[in-house]
Amino acid sequence: MNHDIFIKKVRLNCFRESKVPGEFLLQMRCPGGMVDADMLDIVKHISKTWGDGNFHFGTRQTFDICRIKYEDIPAVNKYLKQYIEEVEIEECGVNMASIAGEPAEWDPESGYPTIGARNISACIGDYHCVCADVNTFELARKIEPLIFPSHYHIKINISGCPNDCNKAHFCDFGIIGCAKMEYHPERCIGCGLCAKICKSHATRVLQLNEATGKIEKDPCCCVGCGECTRHCPTSAWTRKSTKFYKVIIGGRTGRQTPRAGKMFLNWATEETIIAVLSNWQKFSAWVMDYKPEYLHGGHLIDRAGYKKFKELMLDGVTLNPECLVAEDVYWHETEYRSNYNVKELSTHHHAGPTEEKK
Amino acid sequence: MFNPIQPKPCKILSVKHETELEYTFRVEYDIKPDHGQFLQLSIPMIGEAPISVSEQGDGWLEFTIRNVGKVTSCIFEKKAGDVLFLRGPYGNGWPTEELKGKNVVVIAGGTGVSPVRSLLNYLYKTPGYAKSVNVIAGFKNEQSILFKNDLENWKKSFNATFCLDNEEKEGFRKGMVTTVIKELPLKDWGEDYAVIVVGPPVMMKFVGLELLKCGFDEKKIWMSFERKMSCAVGKCGHCRIDEVYVCLDGPVFPYTTAKNLVD
Amino acid sequence: MSYKFTKEEAAGLFAKLSEKFDIYAPIRFKDAGRYAETDIIKYGKISSFDEGVYNEKSTYPMKEVLSPIQQALFYFTEDEYRESKCSTKPMLVFARPCDINAMKVQAKIYAGNGGFIDMYYERMRERVHYALLECNADDDTCFCVSMGTNTTDDYDAAFRFTDDAILIDAKDSAFEALVKDGKACDFKPEFVKENITKVTLPVIEDKETLNKLKAHPMWEQFNGRCISCGACTIACSTCTCFTTRDIIYGDNQEVGERRRVSASCQVDGFTTVAGGGSYRKTAGDKMRFKMLHKFHDYKARFKDSDMCVGCGRCINRCPELISITETLKKMNAALEEIKKEK
Repeated sequence: MNHDIFIKKVRLNCFRESKVPGEFLLQMRCPGGMVDADMLDIVKHISKTWGDGNFHFGTRQTFDICRIKYEDIPAVNKYLKQYIEEVEIEECGVNMASIAGEPAEWDPESGYPTIGARNISACIGDYHCVCADVNTFELARKIEPLIFPSHYHIKINISGCPNDCNKAHFCDFGIIGCAKMEYHPERCIGCGLCAKICKSHATRVLQLNEATGKIEKDPCCCVGCGECTRHCPTSAWTRKSTKFYKVIIGGRTGRQTPRAGKMFLNWATEETIIAVLSNWQKFSAWVMDYKPEYLHGGHLIDRAGYKKFKELMLDGVTLNPECLVAEDVYWHETEYRSNYNVKELSTHHHAGPTEEKK
Repeated sequence: MFNPIQPKPCKILSVKHETELEYTFRVEYDIKPDHGQFLQLSIPMIGEAPISVSEQGDGWLEFTIRNVGKVTSCIFEKKAGDVLFLRGPYGNGWPTEELKGKNVVVIAGGTGVSPVRSLLNYLYKTPGYAKSVNVIAGFKNEQSILFKNDLENWKKSFNATFCLDNEEKEGFRKGMVTTVIKELPLKDWGEDYAVIVVGPPVMMKFVGLELLKCGFDEKKIWMSFERKMSCAVGKCGHCRIDEVYVCLDGPVFPYTTAKNLVD
Repeated sequence: MSYKFTKEEAAGLFAKLSEKFDIYAPIRFKDAGRYAETDIIKYGKISSFDEGVYNEKSTYPMKEVLSPIQQALFYFTEDEYRESKCSTKPMLVFARPCDINAMKVQAKIYAGNGGFIDMYYERMRERVHYALLECNADDDTCFCVSMGTNTTDDYDAAFRFTDDAILIDAKDSAFEALVKDGKACDFKPEFVKENITKVTLPVIEDKETLNKLKAHPMWEQFNGRCISCGACTIACSTCTCFTTRDIIYGDNQEVGERRRVSASCQVDGFTTVAGGGSYRKTAGDKMRFKMLHKFHDYKARFKDSDMCVGCGRCINRCPELISITETLKKMNAALEEIKKEK
């Protein structure tokens, strides 16, 4: 077949090229991985009408439909209108007529305007899970308008508890729900189950004092998972109502320098997370000299350096009093190739606006 | 309102070292318990422990304590003149009335000798109360022999056999107490006997089986149970087995009851 | 006589009752549940009617008012000691029939067993006056009718909280004097007549059957299911077991207390004697011990009733979804088997 397709443009529209020329894979965003099951009718209709009738769960919790012909993309985009309106505008309050927070033209029948900000993935969270400390998809829906639409790349994974099933440690900006525990010694029967569980399932910060029959805690190392509360037979351990989060930055997979992320914030509240993420577009624009290119968020942090990242992301943010911030971050990458970063000075990347370079 | 768990401070009159791990404390106390009953001994801020009475006299009780826990190890630091907190006596004690005019057999192992000591000394001081007294007492080794003076007395007046599990010593037989049971002159006693057994759970189990094997009537056997006793007044539930509270209904049970008390 | 108080009159009524009583009711603790964004409801002293939760089963039973999870027995200072003190002000406790009946069950142990009356329980019991709450029994974990604990007459007054009024049926004349300012009405409390869940109580004819039931393989399944956390016994309306524990305050060796803390036959260590020996080591053994206490042993000792009021809180609280009513069915089936073998 003879094709002449500007692939990059199609990709920005959330259609990814296939090994079969002229065929594309549509990725439908699904913030927090949660939608009304009615949406599946839309997914089915697209697949059966324009795709190959199959459906794949995207690795980032998108609804992926394969083998859409290039010629059919306008028709698919027109049909996507209802889905985008319900999922993005109604559920998340996204301003579709904007890019990176700046007003931009958007035709509701033109499909997704950007691909940079990836779908926010989340585990099921406390909507269902016995381990979870927070509602994950509700947080995803609050974050969605801060990062989308935008050409700046960011992958956000939300986990409902420090078990981190959704791998907040392996994305640009990972968010892990956690809880501050309250101990009510007058309800404690000294059974020691919490200490046993903390040892086997968490960071062994609890210890039964045999002399008092009460629990002693090393509060500094508590990961905030809530296993003590889950197992306590008497409600001697309870969660505080305020929900907290850890933010893990700079984790990634990839061919070059995969690595687990490092903790940027601990015990941040939702307000803090929202305020910090509100600076993401500004930070990305600064690093990229206001020229978006295909580069993931973790690399932006590398280019700017953690301290600059911290400065820009915390700009104007009032942290909640419990919130702790990493003073520095020391990455540990998988060394596919040793001394990967040692190369000619002229090939080094630059961060920040060009004027500042001079 | 009367508080049944209120302890009373009582003065220690003397401390006798029986073995390295077992001391006998004589403590001022003016209530006379039945043989085989126990009291709750405590040290404020440390805790309480149920201890059976090993001897009694005018205004005093003796407790032979094995140093195996937090409370007992603190008691071991006490000297004559110091104070222990006591409440009790609790439990039912030995069926002393049932022993009257009978051929009495007492089989005791290790620390189990202490809850039968006051009974045996009573029988020693009251000749004729029982038709005959037959004592089988076992200890692990020479170091763990308790109440040496009493053993001497019992040897003089009773048909007494003392055993050491694994050691040779003059006056002692090497082996378990169970091996002696078949030598008791059961045939001569007819129906006229009563057996008392006390010791570690395993020892009591095997003694029970051996007694039945040798033809002893289970209705004439009594055993003392060891269970966790915390309140001693039938409230805390730790010692309960089925509908029985060991602290109230025991620790002494007829074998007919004991054999059905399955944990 | 029955009286009605409007919402506006509630504060005045509460103030009047507070003069005579400390008032206790189930209180909601938001987000304090086992799982995130779940609540617990437990008893506590209230300072207005609004604080109470009257139309929902409390997570934890009313027994906590009379016998809290932890209470001081004696205080020690150097070589002196004294009994803990307790207010003598009467308490008005809002409670459902199952919780009120549970106190009769507990009293057999606390204030009678072995001829000993526990002073700490008794001094609380003397203060207690019940304000009966009607029960909606909309929960299929309840089986009070099967246990005969759906009704009671042990209360000073019955209360019904409607959207716009408080209805009170005063049974006790002294109590009536406190509420006679209300407008006369014809409120009479209603009791649950039927539960969704019904149980058949096991009949264990003799010791031989009992010991066969103890040895039955039905208990083995709990070795894989039950985690022996003891949540069922803490949530139980009738369980009484406790441990006595002495503690020293902080770093001052001269002051401390002897306290009572709830204990559970399900938790390891419950039977551990000095020297380390223990009994009923497996989860199945412990479950069997609990079930038989509830549905045989207690009745064998105290005659009148079983040691269960069918409140179903043990079912609600079990993290492993073990149901006491289903376990009863299994006991009945095992007893049938044993009968057939004979």
